[in-house]
Amino acid sequence: MRKLPLALAILGTTAMTAPAFADDHLPIVDKPLELTIHMHWPRAQGYGPGGDTTKLYPVEEVARERTNIHLIDKTSGRNTKDNNEAMNLLLATGDLPDIVGGNRIQQPVNQYGPEGAFLPLNDLVDEHAPNIKKFWEEHPGLKEAISAYDGNYYYIPYLPDGKYGRAWFIRQDWLDKLGLKQPDNIDELYDVLVAFRDQDPNGNGKKDEVPYFARDWEEVLRPLTFWDARTSGSDTYHDFYVTDEGKIAHPYAQDAYRDGMANLAKWYAEGLIDAEVFTRGSSSRDYLLGENLGGLTHDWFASTSGYNAALAEKIPGFNFIPFLPPKSAKGVRMEEHRRIPIKPDGWAISYNNKHVVETIKYFDYWFSEEGSLLSNFGVEGKTWNMVNGEPIFTDEVLKSETPVNSQMYLEGAQIYRGYPQDYRYEWQWTAEEARKGIELYDTEDLLVDQFLGVAFNKDEQAVYDKYWPSIQTYMLERQQAWVLGTGDVQADWADYMNALEKMGYSQVIEVMNSAYQRQYN
Amino acid sequence: MAGVELKSIVKAYGAVQVVHGIDLDVQEKEFVVLVGPSGCGKSTTLRMIAGLEEISDGELTIDGRVVNNVAPKDRDVAMVFQNYALYPHLNVAENIAFGLRIRKEGQKAIDDAVEEVSGILGLRDYLERRPADLSGGQRQRVAMGRAIVRRPKVFLFDEPLSNLDAKLRTQMRAEIKRLHKRLGVTSIYVTHDQVEAMTLADRIVVMHDGRIEQIGTPMELFLNPVNSFVAGFLGAPPMNQIKGKIVAGSNGPAADLGGQHIALAPLPGLQNAVGREVIVGVRPEYAQIVTEKQDGAIMGELDLVETLGSEALLHMSVGGAPFVIRTETLGNINKLEAVKGFTAAPELIKVFDAKTGMALSGQTRVE
Amino acid sequence: MSGPVEKAGTSSAEMAVAAQGRVLAPKRSKLDRLVGHLRREWQLYVMLLPTIIWLLVFLYKPMYGLQIAFKDYSVFRGIANSPWIGFEHFETLFGNEQFLRALKNTIYISMLSLVFGFPMPILLALMFNEILNQWFKKTAQTIVYLPHFISSVIIAGIVITAFSPSAGIVNTVLGWFGYDSVYFLTKPEWFRPIFVGTSIWQEAGFQSIVYLAAIAGVSPTLYESAVVDGASRWQMMWKITIPSIMPTIIIMLIIRIGNMLEVSFEMIILLYQPATYQTADVVNTFIYRQGIQGGQYDLAGAAGLFNAVVAFVLVMTANTISKRYSRTSLW
Repeated sequence: MRKLPLALAILGTTAMTAPAFADDHLPIVDKPLELTIHMHWPRAQGYGPGGDTTKLYPVEEVARERTNIHLIDKTSGRNTKDNNEAMNLLLATGDLPDIVGGNRIQQPVNQYGPEGAFLPLNDLVDEHAPNIKKFWEEHPGLKEAISAYDGNYYYIPYLPDGKYGRAWFIRQDWLDKLGLKQPDNIDELYDVLVAFRDQDPNGNGKKDEVPYFARDWEEVLRPLTFWDARTSGSDTYHDFYVTDEGKIAHPYAQDAYRDGMANLAKWYAEGLIDAEVFTRGSSSRDYLLGENLGGLTHDWFASTSGYNAALAEKIPGFNFIPFLPPKSAKGVRMEEHRRIPIKPDGWAISYNNKHVVETIKYFDYWFSEEGSLLSNFGVEGKTWNMVNGEPIFTDEVLKSETPVNSQMYLEGAQIYRGYPQDYRYEWQWTAEEARKGIELYDTEDLLVDQFLGVAFNKDEQAVYDKYWPSIQTYMLERQQAWVLGTGDVQADWADYMNALEKMGYSQVIEVMNSAYQRQYN
Repeated sequence: MAGVELKSIVKAYGAVQVVHGIDLDVQEKEFVVLVGPSGCGKSTTLRMIAGLEEISDGELTIDGRVVNNVAPKDRDVAMVFQNYALYPHLNVAENIAFGLRIRKEGQKAIDDAVEEVSGILGLRDYLERRPADLSGGQRQRVAMGRAIVRRPKVFLFDEPLSNLDAKLRTQMRAEIKRLHKRLGVTSIYVTHDQVEAMTLADRIVVMHDGRIEQIGTPMELFLNPVNSFVAGFLGAPPMNQIKGKIVAGSNGPAADLGGQHIALAPLPGLQNAVGREVIVGVRPEYAQIVTEKQDGAIMGELDLVETLGSEALLHMSVGGAPFVIRTETLGNINKLEAVKGFTAAPELIKVFDAKTGMALSGQTRVE
Repeated sequence: MSGPVEKAGTSSAEMAVAAQGRVLAPKRSKLDRLVGHLRREWQLYVMLLPTIIWLLVFLYKPMYGLQIAFKDYSVFRGIANSPWIGFEHFETLFGNEQFLRALKNTIYISMLSLVFGFPMPILLALMFNEILNQWFKKTAQTIVYLPHFISSVIIAGIVITAFSPSAGIVNTVLGWFGYDSVYFLTKPEWFRPIFVGTSIWQEAGFQSIVYLAAIAGVSPTLYESAVVDGASRWQMMWKITIPSIMPTIIIMLIIRIGNMLEVSFEMIILLYQPATYQTADVVNTFIYRQGIQGGQYDLAGAAGLFNAVVAFVLVMTANTISKRYSRTSLW
């Protein structure tokens, strides 16, 4: 805790700047105004603590007091956790509440917005929402990224804060035991993995170490970046990426991918990569670390840092820490994965809404300094206090058995309304190891620009829907075959590229680029 | 000698004994009927003979060979079941041939046998039909065909006619009788129907509660039941049984039936029996109607007259006990409603001990 | 005489009566007869009503939605207001090699399941029927029923573990015989045997219940009669048990053939990999992947309709064949 101000100073980018306007516009309406809301997300199916709509979030109580706007729950599909199903139910009834919010609303909102189900927000925001407008101005490209194909955007997203997602983790105690230093480049990484494989770092006399492992089989591809290939352009696996020339391409159709894949297949064949990576599944991290078998992985900062504490007793000396991504063959140090700046979650205004201006002003409230603090930290004086100009959670919150985010969800903070997340919220309860790692990653410029997606018009969507799923299926089939050694990527490459072409790769790239140009230029 | 001999045959399920040591000697070519109320052990006995039930104790001999531990198929018996046990997926010819086929007889032999048997049973026109397409009587014939075709030493029948309607039953009964005459195979036949027993049997075995009550020809059993159970079981309507007490009458022994005296034959069992509690049995056929009080007659009240055509059943109440009289209608028809009592020839009246139920009276013969 | 036979007898008798009635009828108007009939038998119709309502609400009403297979469907616009586009979705499906591959895989897997999976429950039922020791019989039955009650996710976990190259029982056993460890679940050639084997293991026991019930319905006197005739247990099984449950077997077979294109979707999703798509990708998983991009319900609807049509044709064919050759049929 004492280190916090320093850490925040390092983070720098995330602190909220002073609001553009004083909060003298509040309350938004003089007499209380009730607006109905659909709010369906994984932690709560309904607008109320844990989905219990008979109760009010403490945050909602404060917001009512401040804005005079009362959100009244009208959530569809409260008996299912499947947000897709809930959304379909909602749309099929045709009786939309004033506000539609929750998990993964971008796709439906962008599809049905242009059909008239939701209101375009561009002009409304420009005229009535100075805080949101200011956010867009300070974060160029995001507004475009959430736009539908008609150029309008239809929802105010939940905007995550913080830069890093996944990082490279290594068993430092194994390195120490074998007298090795942290690998700084691809060759050293290879040597370390070979040493992990051959030199029995866990000391059980068996050659059972798994040098590189991953919870998600797709992470088996991540080492491709060490040979200057790409695996994805966003935090979604197998996604398109933006080339240096500003064009959209797919990583799996590049020569660098071919060469990287050849190396990756060699690693797999040599036993440097978990032989069972494709079937071990989500518990593999628990298993391989817990059994003192796994040496290196690429996984989330926050959750992976917890193992040192969890396994301290079981495996004496256990030390699994983040290290900088080794330099690639061409000498580039890159962390391909990062947090996405916009989520498909948030809220939108439906065509049934009779108080559009009040609603957009209400949306804007959550982007004001006051609203942002309320939506990030909960009610001031209850869960947090302002200390030296910084919002600091109370000891009660920080020392609780319940994780801070779970506590916030019940307060009505950090729920999937449209709001700018404040990384100071997460930092306060991030484990020491992770903080060190983040600080370490901040010492270099590791991150690459992300591809935030495009919104297709109808014709583009048709082309994409027709070709892309099959192409991706084919890509993944070949990819696994190459990794597993049932095919030789160098020998197969020409056929592979021909097949992609025949399946419509060029057409997909063409519509991707036309949509991209329209959206981001 | 294809006889069947049961020596002290016992059947017990765990501690519960259901057949208590039966002795029965069935002669070759004899038609023996086991009869008794349900639960008397007659079917169990038959199934033990067939080998479908294990014999708990005693010795079973078929054709002079002890077969207690011989598998059913090696006992050379054939059985006809109550519900026919026909294979629904096989046609008549195949059903009849089933046993032969199981024994891997040659095709020619099978064809000949089926031909012959279906001829005997009048099934030639139905050989291609499945059981579902046959009437009850035809099914029963097929079931018998299956038994006959094997030419077994012994036929076992387990209530074969009880699923048929009354008319068909009478007809099939006759057919079975004819068949037995023609084939001359030792047969053991189980039924609860005393009419079947009377009509079919060379000898009847009356069973009750796992024991044999009496063995004898139908007429022996009819005329001289050894106890009140057999007396009550055989004959339709059954023998009337009225409680009474032996008294000394004017011309020999008599029974006091609640104040009225009925004269009995001076039989050895009734000597010095005055005061003994007895059951007096009078077959409905042997009671003569009276329309007004007369000497030696037993008076009662007429409840109901059932006219059956050539004869009538008069349901009376004698001292509170029911009493049925069977009488010819010819010449009596106008008197029936006026009947006030009956008389019976002393030598036709049976007397049983009230406690043991055993007959006290001697043999009755019909000449 | 066993139950079904009796039934057949009475029903044909009823038909005869009905036919007679028809001949005699013309004097009264059809309506009169209907009203009279309803007045007499209304209780029966009331008892039938819940089923009819259930059918209408849950099966017939949704059929209205089938039209989205021919529409550019939007949830918001609703079924009625979405524009017609003819057979475009079908063209998309059949123009896609991966769909054709998935169709081929579906049929292949179904055939394998049918050939190996269909006889298994029958075999199990026959075997259970021969077990005399009641305790052993009940224990064995419980053991084979058990997998049915375990969720697919756990079954898949068990399969993945069992076939794991490092710790799996299968590779361990292979190791004893000197074979190299095989990563079965990434080998296209192994997917089908593993999947079909798993389905059999999971369901055969439970499916055997229906056959056990059918066997229990065979009159015991058929066996007794056969015993007296001298049949061995083996002969009784072949000549009595199997022919007696043949109608059940045929009905189950017809139903099974009707479900030919319905391969257990969750299980495949849980077990397959891009590496095994080649043999593992079935119509349902294909649609799942295809449709997940932007909720293409209309395309999924087209595939569903196609499945239904194929199933309908298969059931009709199987039923007709069965009716002609075995006198057993669903209707």
